[in-house]
Amino acid sequence: MKRRAILAFMLNRPGVLNKVSMLIRKKMYNVDTLTVCSACKPGISRMTITLKEDDDAKVQQVIRQLEKFTEVVSVKELDTDHSYWREVAVVKMEVPAKHLEGFHGRYNFEVLEQKSADIHILQVAGSTRRIDAFLEEVGQEHIIEIARTGVTALEK
Amino acid sequence: MTGKKLLLRALKDKGVKYVFGYTGGAIMPVFDEMDKLGGFNFVMSRHEQGAAFMSQGLSRASRSNKVPQIGVCMSTSGPGAMNLVTGVADAYMDSVPILAVTGQVATGVIATDAFQESDVVGVMMPISKQTYMPLDASDVESTVHEAIYVATTGRGGPVVLDIPKDVQNQQVPDEYRFDAESYRPALPGFFYHPTPAREPLQQAVDLINRSERPVMFCGHGVINSNAGKLLLQFAEKVNIPIASTMHGLSAIPADHPLHLGMMGMHGTVEANRAIMEADLLISFGMRFDDRVTGKLNEYAQNADVIHVEIDASEINKNVGTTVAINADVYRTLHVLAGDPMLTYKPRRRWLDKIEGYRQVMAEDLRQEIETGVGADGKLLMKAIVSRLSDLTEGKDLIVPDVGQHQMMASRFYNFQTENSWFSSGGAGTMGASLPMAIGVKLARPDERVWSISGDGGFQMNAQELGTIMEQQLDVKILILNNGYLGMVRQWQTLFFDGRYAGTPMQSPDFGLIAKAYGLPYRKVEKLEDVKPALQQAIDHQGAIVLEFICDPGEVILPMIPAGGGFDDMIVKHPGQEPAENAVEEGGQS
Repeated sequence: MKRRAILAFMLNRPGVLNKVSMLIRKKMYNVDTLTVCSACKPGISRMTITLKEDDDAKVQQVIRQLEKFTEVVSVKELDTDHSYWREVAVVKMEVPAKHLEGFHGRYNFEVLEQKSADIHILQVAGSTRRIDAFLEEVGQEHIIEIARTGVTALEK
Repeated sequence: MTGKKLLLRALKDKGVKYVFGYTGGAIMPVFDEMDKLGGFNFVMSRHEQGAAFMSQGLSRASRSNKVPQIGVCMSTSGPGAMNLVTGVADAYMDSVPILAVTGQVATGVIATDAFQESDVVGVMMPISKQTYMPLDASDVESTVHEAIYVATTGRGGPVVLDIPKDVQNQQVPDEYRFDAESYRPALPGFFYHPTPAREPLQQAVDLINRSERPVMFCGHGVINSNAGKLLLQFAEKVNIPIASTMHGLSAIPADHPLHLGMMGMHGTVEANRAIMEADLLISFGMRFDDRVTGKLNEYAQNADVIHVEIDASEINKNVGTTVAINADVYRTLHVLAGDPMLTYKPRRRWLDKIEGYRQVMAEDLRQEIETGVGADGKLLMKAIVSRLSDLTEGKDLIVPDVGQHQMMASRFYNFQTENSWFSSGGAGTMGASLPMAIGVKLARPDERVWSISGDGGFQMNAQELGTIMEQQLDVKILILNNGYLGMVRQWQTLFFDGRYAGTPMQSPDFGLIAKAYGLPYRKVEKLEDVKPALQQAIDHQGAIVLEFICDPGEVILPMIPAGGGFDDMIVKHPGQEPAENAVEEGGQS
């Protein structure tokens, strides 16, 4: 199924996040990630929602339903050609330092801490696909724990 | 100044005259202040759900008044607020603006499971247009103004204001100022488009001019924007028949030659057949709900759809739209009706065909109404409603409950007064009628109001007879008693092999109940007594209870089974035999 991203700006009032998550449940949308941060304008929050949906009408419905909330200032769909979608993963892995060196230059990662010869905590940033590819290449078997932020997106 | 005073000042500034409610620990300060201040008509319901429906009645009935009013209901925290839930959810489904004010436990004990604490904002959020909990007395006044603005702007809906007890009592600083005149809510994303865009209007006019078999839809939006006369004017100008949704009823005179009556599950043959065969649907202020469309993939397959709707999220939700006009119905009709490019067409073939459909059941129904009784000699609901319609010349205000009798009233009352039909539609809440009729009567005191209930629904809010007694309200109360939950029974007859599970019902002596509340009462069992009894109710100054003993076997037809398409329409009573084209559907009725 196609992955879609919706960007919404809304007043930073109590209960807004609750409303959005309730809508997702009520209308049974197939949501992948949801990230919230402050926008540069004070009092405004910025929310990126990604969902898997092929049906354009359904995505339109999500947008219309979000627009209905009195707190929501604007909503639009972002497509991959005209926007950047990025996320960050923090990974704790058991892997020899040598093995990791091979990935330098090809992937955008930073070693936050080396806890022992084999235990590393890394930070990887990039598109979801890029992070997936990195993890795949390093080898899933090395991963002890992983934390991913979910997608945030910005229009070009 | 205190939070409670600011709340009441804001309500006064917004023209609120009636407050429906029930006091309790967490709202006492407001009630106390209201009593000291004066200027409000407080109507005490006997249950908070009653107060919610009373406020709905006031909002619904007064929207066609010169100055529409918003219904306000008030309750205490916890159970008081929870009892409002059904009425609020009902208002949300039917787009009725009301303001529900609930007391909350003091901020210091919120989230400690304090006595009579419940998460009102959390519960109300998905069933209301907006919820508020001001945490400082200085926010109370602006919140009330914003709340009423949100409730009444665009598509209407309920708004909930939950005020902690300490905020009610809190003093605002001396420098507190608020100017109600100049106040505008700061909601940058909350706007609606009242005026139609030019381009889709042009496309609509083209489609209308090209269309051979058009049908117009009159929805709740026509009533809400007071556009009934304009719709009729437009329909006459282009000679297009009009089908109504249940909430669109009473927008135009029911017996107008272009009116096809109600559409959908219990709609008329002519309305539903016309929709099936139409090449164009022009729908005004409605949302194509499942009771209107039946099976979606079989619905009006050859028709283009022009959808005029104030709520953008309703467009393309259930039915694909050819031309979407996201605007106010009145303003759209105003522009459309004056469009010089529109042409009148005689449409003789189309209208003749519809006339043919009109005749499919006409004779059977006429006979049934005339005979007036079922096989066992008990009264038919349709006969009672139709006699009521004759006696009142279709001019009175009708507040049905939910069920068979509601469908009978929608089909057989000959509505002549604009905005004279007030019914729980989307939610279908049994028990809505009696309290809603109280609000309707207060909004339109010079008009006659009929609350029509079944024996089931009447008993769900019968306690509001106490309110009627106390307020000395002139509401005519009809109980159509067939000893069953009639609509479910009808489904059981048609789709459950006549097994009547959970529908037979023993009722109390309604005469004694009426007497207990000091109301006159008459029981009607014979056809010849129907008219005299109704006339007695008309002549009597004040509330009266009439009980009609009805035939449990009566069904409301035609009927499109839930989940079925228009081709599955049942037009003949199958007796006790299950219908061949029965569609099974679990759960709701």
